[in-house]
Amino acid sequence: MRKPQVAPASAHAAFAVLGVLFLAVFSWVYLGEQGAEWRQQQAKFRRIEASVKNPHQLAQAAGVGGIRQVWLPDLGRVDRCTTCHLGIDDAAYVKAPQPFRTHGGTWLTTHPVERFGCTVCHEGQGQATDYRNAAHRAIPFVERPMRPLETIEASCGSCHGSLETPDAPRLSAGRRLIVDSGCVSCHDIPGFEGLTFSGPALDSEGYKVRPEWLTAWLKDPKSSLSRSKMGNFRLKPDEVAGLQAFLLSQRAQAPLAGASVDWARADTDKGRALFGELRCTSCHAVNGRGGTMGPELTKVGDKVRRDWLIGFLEDPHRDQPDTAMLRYRLTDDQVRDLAAFLLQEYRSGDAGPETSPASFQDAAAVASGRGTFIKRGCYSCHRLSGVSIPGKIGPSLAGVADRDPDQLTYGTSGARHTSDNYIYVKLLQPDGLGSPSLMPTFGFTPAEAATITVALAGLHKSDLPASRVVRQPSPPPYRPQGRFGELVTRYRCLSCHRINGTGGDLSTVPLDRIGSQLQHDYLVTYLLNPGAVRVSVEARMPVFHMTPEEARTIADYASTVFVDDTIDRLDVRVDAAEARRGQDRFRELGCVGCHQVGLKGGYVGPDLSNTGRRLKAGWIATWLTDPQRQKPDTIQPNYGLSAPDVRALTAYLMSLGAVPATTGSRADAKPGSPR
Amino acid sequence: MRNARRVVVLLALCAVAACRRPSPPAAEPVIDALKAEEREVGLTYAESLGRPVFAHYCATCHGDAGKGDGQNASNLTPPPPDFTASKVMADAGYVRRVIVEGSAALGRSPLSPPWGRTLTPQQVDYLILYCQALAKKK
Repeated sequence: MRKPQVAPASAHAAFAVLGVLFLAVFSWVYLGEQGAEWRQQQAKFRRIEASVKNPHQLAQAAGVGGIRQVWLPDLGRVDRCTTCHLGIDDAAYVKAPQPFRTHGGTWLTTHPVERFGCTVCHEGQGQATDYRNAAHRAIPFVERPMRPLETIEASCGSCHGSLETPDAPRLSAGRRLIVDSGCVSCHDIPGFEGLTFSGPALDSEGYKVRPEWLTAWLKDPKSSLSRSKMGNFRLKPDEVAGLQAFLLSQRAQAPLAGASVDWARADTDKGRALFGELRCTSCHAVNGRGGTMGPELTKVGDKVRRDWLIGFLEDPHRDQPDTAMLRYRLTDDQVRDLAAFLLQEYRSGDAGPETSPASFQDAAAVASGRGTFIKRGCYSCHRLSGVSIPGKIGPSLAGVADRDPDQLTYGTSGARHTSDNYIYVKLLQPDGLGSPSLMPTFGFTPAEAATITVALAGLHKSDLPASRVVRQPSPPPYRPQGRFGELVTRYRCLSCHRINGTGGDLSTVPLDRIGSQLQHDYLVTYLLNPGAVRVSVEARMPVFHMTPEEARTIADYASTVFVDDTIDRLDVRVDAAEARRGQDRFRELGCVGCHQVGLKGGYVGPDLSNTGRRLKAGWIATWLTDPQRQKPDTIQPNYGLSAPDVRALTAYLMSLGAVPATTGSRADAKPGSPR
Repeated sequence: MRNARRVVVLLALCAVAACRRPSPPAAEPVIDALKAEEREVGLTYAESLGRPVFAHYCATCHGDAGKGDGQNASNLTPPPPDFTASKVMADAGYVRRVIVEGSAALGRSPLSPPWGRTLTPQQVDYLILYCQALAKKK
C-alpha cells in the first residue's frame, strides 16, 4: 500500500493564494460589469423617465434593460448607441440631459434609427457601450471618431449623390465648388460623371493674345483676373517662357478679314450702347459685376489682339467651337464699334502697339513649352489639336476618404491624422505635403477648402447596396437636329436653358414644356426683342438680332414639340364670372406683393400685366397647382389652392392684357381689365 | 552588479520618457476653418443652415438682415416689419406658424405667403433658427 501523499505545505499555500486570486479576479470582472457605464446610464434614465412620463405611459413604455442594438446587415454595422441614448426618438425627452435627449430636427423621421442606425451619419464606434470607446472624441487607433456637426454633412454625401442635396447645404456648396473649379477635368470623381469643364481652345492662341499678357497670365492667372478659374501652376521662369513660345506658335486659323476694317470710323459710343443691348454682362463681369459664364472683361484690352477680337465677335464658333457664347447677327460696323469700345474701355492703361504674331518663334523654347504643356496636363481643360489626351492627369478620387490616415503626409501643418485634414491641406497647398505636386494652387479660402473637403470626405469606396443610394439618374445627352438644331447651336440656347435635362440653369423654367407655357405669337415677339419678364433679374436674355424667319422657326418648333398634353388639355374655363372671382382671390392671397399688374405690384415674380397675351391657360393652372413640380427651386410658393380657386385665378390672369383673337383660350377673354 | 546598473539606466530612461512634455493636441484645420466661418457671421452650425433658405426665399422682401429693407419692400403695403426688433421672434411656435401658414392665417396682411407646402420641415427648422439668430444679433 502506498502511503497517501500529502502535498507539501507550499503547494497548499499556492493553491490558497490562487483560489483567492481567482475569486478576486472573478469578483472584479463581475462587479465591473455590474457597475458598467451603460448600466449606470440606464438606471439614471429610469429615474428621468419617471419624471417625464405619467404612470400610464410608463406602463405602456417598453422596459429598458440590457444592451440595445441596431443591426444593419447590408451595411455591416452594429450600433449599440441606443443602449445609453434611450430617449433619442421620443419627443418627450427634448429637455432631458444627454445622453437621453431627443434627436434634434426631423432627421429621425426621414432616417429612422431602426433603418439607419447612428454611425452611418455620425461615425464613431457603434459597438462600444461606453463614452470613450464609442469615440465621441478622437482616440488613438480609431480612424473614424464621431464627426462634429461642422463636417457631418460629409456623411450625407455617402448615400446622397445628387449635386444639390437641399437638406445638406454645406455638402451642396462643396459640390458646386468642385464643379465650378473644374476638378472634374483632372480627376474622376464618383457622382460627377459626365460633367465637363473646359477653358478656351488654344489652336489659334498666337493670333489671339498679346505676348506680355500671356506671360503675366501664366505666372499667376489670379493677378490678371481675380476671378480666374485657372489655378496657379507655380511655373518656373523658363517654363513660363517655353509655354509662352509654344502657345504663341499655335496659329491654326488667321482671324477673319482683320486688315479690311476701317478703325478710323469706329464709334465707341455706339459700341457702348451695343454692349448694353446685347446684355453682355449677363455672362461677362466688368469691374466686379456681372455673370460668371464667360471670362471677366475688365482688362480684355490688355489681353487680346484687335483683329482676333473682330473675328471672334463676328463668329465666336469658328475659333472656339465649344464656347458657350452665342453668335449674334451683327453688321460689320456693329462688330467694329463693339470691338473698339471693348478695347478702349476695358484696359489698364496704354498697352502699347501690337507686335506682329509672326515674330515669336524659337524652336527649342517651343519644344520645351510643348513638354510643359503635356507634363502639367494643360490639355485637361484646353483643347489643342496635335496634343492627344492620354486620360485624366490626376488620380481618381474614388475612395479618397478610405485611405489610411496614418499613411498620408501632412507637411508642416501639425494636423491630426485624418483623411479630412489631408484633403484640406492638399487643396490649400498642393506642394506643402513633402513631395512636389502637379496640382495647381487654386487660391481657395480656408472656408472654401473646408467646404470642398466636406464634399469629398463622403467618397468612400462604395460597397453601399444600391437600395441605399439616393441619386438622380443622369439623362441621355440631348442634341436638337435640323434647322431648329442649327439655330439652337448658333444662339447657344443650351448655355442658359435646359431641355430634356441638358443645358445650363441660368434661365427660369426648362424649355421641355415651353410650347404649353407660352403662346406662339408672344414667343415670336419675345425672341425678336426679349424684354425683362422679371424686373429684378440681372441676367437677361440677349437681344440676338435674329431674323423674323428664325424667330418663327423656333416658335413653330417649340409649339409643336415642347408641349405637354396634360397641360394643354386641361379643362380651364375662362369666362367673366370666373375671372371676377379670380380677381378677388388674387387680392386676398396678396399676389400683388410679388407680381406687377399695371403700375402696381412687386418686383419678385414676372409682371402679369400682359399674361393674357403671354401664357396659355393650361399652364397657369398647372403652375398654380404645384409650382415646384415645374421648377423645383422657384420662389413662387405652393399655396395649396383648391381646384375652383385655380380655375378662377387662371381665368383672371388670362383676362389681363388679352387681345380678342388670342389663340387657345375659349370664351370671351376680357372680363375684368386691371383696375 | 552589471544587471543592477542596467536596471538603473533603464529606469532613468523611463523617467526621462515620462518627463517628456506631452505632445500638443493635434490641429483640426478643417473644423477650425468651418468654425471660423461660422464665427465670422456669428452663427452656429444649425443657424447657418437657414441662411441659404432665407437668402433664396425671404431676403428679397425682408432684407438680408431681416430688417424689412429688401429690394421689394417698397412695393408692399404694409411693408415687411423689422423682425429683428420684434418680440415674437422668441416664440418659435409663432414664427413657425407665420412661415408655414402665412401671415394671413394669423390675421395679418396676406403678403407673406404660406411656405409649408414649398419648404421641407427641415428647411423650416433651419429658417426659424436663422431668423432667431438675426434677431439676437440685431
